[in-house]
Amino acid sequence: MSTVPLLSVRGVERRFGVGPTAVHALRDVSFDVQGGTMVALVGRSGSGKTTLLNVVGGLDRPDAGTVVVDGTDVTALDEDGLSRLRRATVGYVFQTFGLIPVLSAAENVGAPLRLARTPAAERERRVELLLELVGLADHAQQRPAELSGGQQQRVAIARALAASPRLLIADEPTGQLDAETGLSVMSLLRGVVESEGVTVLVATHDPVMMALAERVIRIQDGRLDAEPAGSAPG
Amino acid sequence: MIRLPWPAVHWPTVRARPRADAGPLLLTAVVVAVVVLFAGAVPPLMRATADQAVRDAVRQAAEDATVRVHARWEPDDGPYGGRVRDPYLAETVSDLRGMAGDELDPDLRAVLRPPIATVTSSTLKITDGGIQRTFQLGYLGNDPAAGGGPGVTWLAGGAPRPAVPEAESRIEVPYGAPPWPVQVGLAKPVADTLNLGPGDRIPLVDQRRRTKHVVVSGVFAPTDRDDPAWRLAPWLLEPVAGVDGVGSTRFAGLLSADSLPDARLAFADEELDRTVWFALDPEVLTRDSAESVAANVVALKAASASSGVRDSSLRWETRLDAVLRDVRTRIAAANAQASVLLVGVLTVAILVLLLAADLLVRRRAMALTAARQRGATLPDLATELLVESVALALLAGAAGLGLVVAVASGISWRWAAPVILAAAVATPVLGTLTAARATRDRRVPANRTARRWVRRTGQLRRATLEVAVLAGAVAAFTTLHQRGILPPASTAPTGPGPGEDGGATLPASAPALGALVGALLLLRLLPLGTGLVLRRSLRSRRPLAVFGAARAAVTSARVLPVLVLVTSVALASFAFTLRATAVQGLAEGAWRTVGADARLDVNLADAAATTALAERVAAAPGVRQVVTAQVTDNARLVADSTLVTPRLVIVDARAFARLLAATPLPDGPQFDRLAVTGGAGGAVPALVRSADGGLRPGTRLELRRADGPAVQLAVVGTAPPVGDADDVVVVDAAAVAAAGVPVVPNTVWVTGPGAGRAVADRTLGADVLDREEVLAQRRTAPLSLGLLRLWWASITMLLAMGLLGLALGAAASAAQRWQTLTRLRTLGLRPVDARRVAVGELLPPVLVAAVGGPLLGVLLAALTLGPLALRLLTGQAVDPTAVLPWWQLGVLAVAPLAAVVVVVRVELAARRHRRLGEVLRAGEG
Ligand SMILES: Nc1ncnc2c1ncn2[C@@H]1O[C@H](COP(=O)(O)OP(=O)(O)OP(=O)(O)O)[C@@H](O)[C@H]1O
Ligand SMILES: [Mg+2]
Repeated sequence: MSTVPLLSVRGVERRFGVGPTAVHALRDVSFDVQGGTMVALVGRSGSGKTTLLNVVGGLDRPDAGTVVVDGTDVTALDEDGLSRLRRATVGYVFQTFGLIPVLSAAENVGAPLRLARTPAAERERRVELLLELVGLADHAQQRPAELSGGQQQRVAIARALAASPRLLIADEPTGQLDAETGLSVMSLLRGVVESEGVTVLVATHDPVMMALAERVIRIQDGRLDAEPAGSAPG
Repeated sequence: MIRLPWPAVHWPTVRARPRADAGPLLLTAVVVAVVVLFAGAVPPLMRATADQAVRDAVRQAAEDATVRVHARWEPDDGPYGGRVRDPYLAETVSDLRGMAGDELDPDLRAVLRPPIATVTSSTLKITDGGIQRTFQLGYLGNDPAAGGGPGVTWLAGGAPRPAVPEAESRIEVPYGAPPWPVQVGLAKPVADTLNLGPGDRIPLVDQRRRTKHVVVSGVFAPTDRDDPAWRLAPWLLEPVAGVDGVGSTRFAGLLSADSLPDARLAFADEELDRTVWFALDPEVLTRDSAESVAANVVALKAASASSGVRDSSLRWETRLDAVLRDVRTRIAAANAQASVLLVGVLTVAILVLLLAADLLVRRRAMALTAARQRGATLPDLATELLVESVALALLAGAAGLGLVVAVASGISWRWAAPVILAAAVATPVLGTLTAARATRDRRVPANRTARRWVRRTGQLRRATLEVAVLAGAVAAFTTLHQRGILPPASTAPTGPGPGEDGGATLPASAPALGALVGALLLLRLLPLGTGLVLRRSLRSRRPLAVFGAARAAVTSARVLPVLVLVTSVALASFAFTLRATAVQGLAEGAWRTVGADARLDVNLADAAATTALAERVAAAPGVRQVVTAQVTDNARLVADSTLVTPRLVIVDARAFARLLAATPLPDGPQFDRLAVTGGAGGAVPALVRSADGGLRPGTRLELRRADGPAVQLAVVGTAPPVGDADDVVVVDAAAVAAAGVPVVPNTVWVTGPGAGRAVADRTLGADVLDREEVLAQRRTAPLSLGLLRLWWASITMLLAMGLLGLALGAAASAAQRWQTLTRLRTLGLRPVDARRVAVGELLPPVLVAAVGGPLLGVLLAALTLGPLALRLLTGQAVDPTAVLPWWQLGVLAVAPLAAVVVVVRVELAARRHRRLGEVLRAGEG
């Protein structure tokens, strides 16, 4: 298999605060993720999952180390560069959905395309396709407040995929959903890995999700555990 | 007995809350304190201003404000059918002062200066020379101890002596005897002009051409020219032109206590006037004492009018009641203006307090809901909130009132109370409603009909409020237009202080209610606008437009911020327009009064001297035009056989037309008709203007002259207004001269940038009226100055509160705005674009205020300008039309727009330390 990884994390450190109360959230974290795979990030609460995802997605800057996404050194980008990265390369799915309340489901999905200045006709086609994909074609004109939690999260996934990112970052996407809804969201995520060829890095507590992932990365007190043999990508 | 449970106040919460919400609470406190300071201080300040205005008016009215009492003479018939000389006549005259004083009400006496008694003869003619000279004998008795009159120094000769030796002081003179000799003293200028000295006899005849025997005893100079007694007969000190008709000059001789009895014998009873003058002491007058003084004077005049026929004792005369009525009307007008501004400021203040309370309650919504779910009852929560807000309102109110005491004498509760009350109840009411709503099952009913019903009730509630405001505005405007802003004269002649009378508050609130109605209307239209923009932005090629528009549709649906912003900008524009109109009105009034950049009122009875003076002024640098005229007030003309007394202006018509054309004064387009001499049977062409239409083109006018045949005038057109006179007749000087009337100019109008400097030369020997000075004096007159300051203060308050409303409204929506923006940032929105979207979101209501506010304000000014009676304050003849202060309206329009940019920058700065990464966690914003 080709060996240039889509995501490469090297020696990332992240500390919050200074002095005796300082929290060392990430310590010397390094790993690679190959394109087109789904990787689960697992760890106890407070172990540093969200912090790691933020650093990887360019929402936060590490104190040390580098993050390279699809050949771009994220840690070297300025604000505008990061904006470009978020617009084109990385998509996010949040535990709290993060939809824009004043926009309809369709407009939420179309938002990244607007930011990328995709022509209107193409944008509408893609929005329709994505809503179809997440099974919400009938709910296109509803506002987030008028959707159930699972529906909202599916809109969020559609939105995250809208601009065809190479990397999808999901932080406990099923954390606020009941088991059954969570399952449908998880299989949706698994599905887009197959259909869109996107790479997914997902933080989760859910064993089902871990089972669906090609690989599980464990984190504890800001340090990656040694990965069990056999689960490493081939 | 049922015991109601005492609300369970959770004191730790009450103590902890203010710390958590220090910002909004502090803002509320500042608003309360400042508005209470304003509302508490303006009425007492206006009252003090009114007192000053009364004093000012009395001071300016001078002689008109004095109270005069005329007394007939006691009969002096002697036992042998003649008249008996009374050597103690001066004492009798002096005693009259006390007698008259006793008739006065103590209230009135308290504001009057010590009285002065005068005796003046009818005007006599000096029989030398061609120019019309008149002569009067006068006695001034203000200080009997010092020999009767004000102090004089005899430069030549001595004081007038009795005509008879001491032994014959009670001599009886038969009727028909030769003219009785009287001695008078002449002031130096009088003696010099008449070329007379001690011992000379003045050649005098009376109206019926009977000779009078008046001899000069000496020539004097006054010890103190400013002695109030001289002001009653200034001609005793120097010749005065024009008092006894066109082209005449009056001279006078001073009688002493010794020669007064001789004057009595020299004149018939009706030819000698005996008057006691009470000058007002302006310093002790106040607006309130003016009230009782006016009432007393009216009563006094009424009593003497009814008793005058029967008994011959005292006849009271004064224009003081008219002077006071005038100033009281102006005070009422100023108070009305102040009320209008106060109501405006209070309206906006209460809206701002509601908005602040709304913000506070939003911040506490979660805590309130939680408390309710933990089992706190609504009364418990209401009491907790009330304890806090009452404490805050009272503390802030006390601070404001404390400042009032520092700047004004006295406090007005009437206007301060609503602000304190609003601050005390707004948060508890809104908070309790929020808590009640939060626990009323679900916020949005699942059932569709129920949802519709909730929406309907909301709409109905809002519509009811709107209709109520509209009804109030209609009532206010109707009262304003029917009754005017001034309180009805019958009930409260002075008009109370601003808003002290409940009746005047309704019309005074017309502009504020009008602004509210306008704001509510704009508020109704705003969603249509934002909806349209949103629909267009969805199809727009500009990718960001939709985000701003979608948020704006939500943000601008909030009522209070838009209401505050539009109302405050509208009322500030209204106040600016009124102020500009008043300022322009004052300027126009000054133009009207002076008639040019400067005016000289010449007292010389010498045409050549006036012409020389005019030439001297014309030669000064910076003088453009100099026009001389003979202006006579109360000229005696006969119009179709009735006597009229217009202002007669004899002037070079062409020069006058040029002068008017070069000034903002109304032009005289028909002046060329005056140049046609010898028209209509040799009559002199004249232009006329009259307030009541008594003088019209076609009227035949006749100018009566004392020393020659009457002159016929033919009215050929309409005259422009000249000064403040109601009736004006303008004729061409050349035409008048051709008709054989000597023209003696007494007025010099000067224009040009150097006019003021040119006439400032005090050696010109004329009264100088500089327009700039007149204007400055009017602008600094108590009422004008007070109002001009009040306008500024109100505008500042309104604008500050409007911007505060903008900031509070923005703060209330900030959390949601930045939540959306950070979410968009995770989708790749650039930081600079985030700022633009934020501005775009806040812009619609601000645009509405920036455009609609000034328009609304100007509209309100145009609608209320008539009833607000600004002309009473500016000294204009008619109600002015609204003057638009463009750049100030521009500032009002731009200020909120600039504020939006600032608000967004501040919001951004406040969030700078927040990392986008935190968005991934639960807490956002
Ligand atoms: N902004 C911050 N300031 C200070 N400490 C922080 C901050 N963000 C995270 N931390 C700390 O860093 C550590 C890692 O937090 P993080 O949110 O990454 O954990 P997590 O694995 O995502 O936990 P969970 O499963 O509960 O979401 C925690 O100890 C947390 O307290
Ligand atoms: Mg986490």
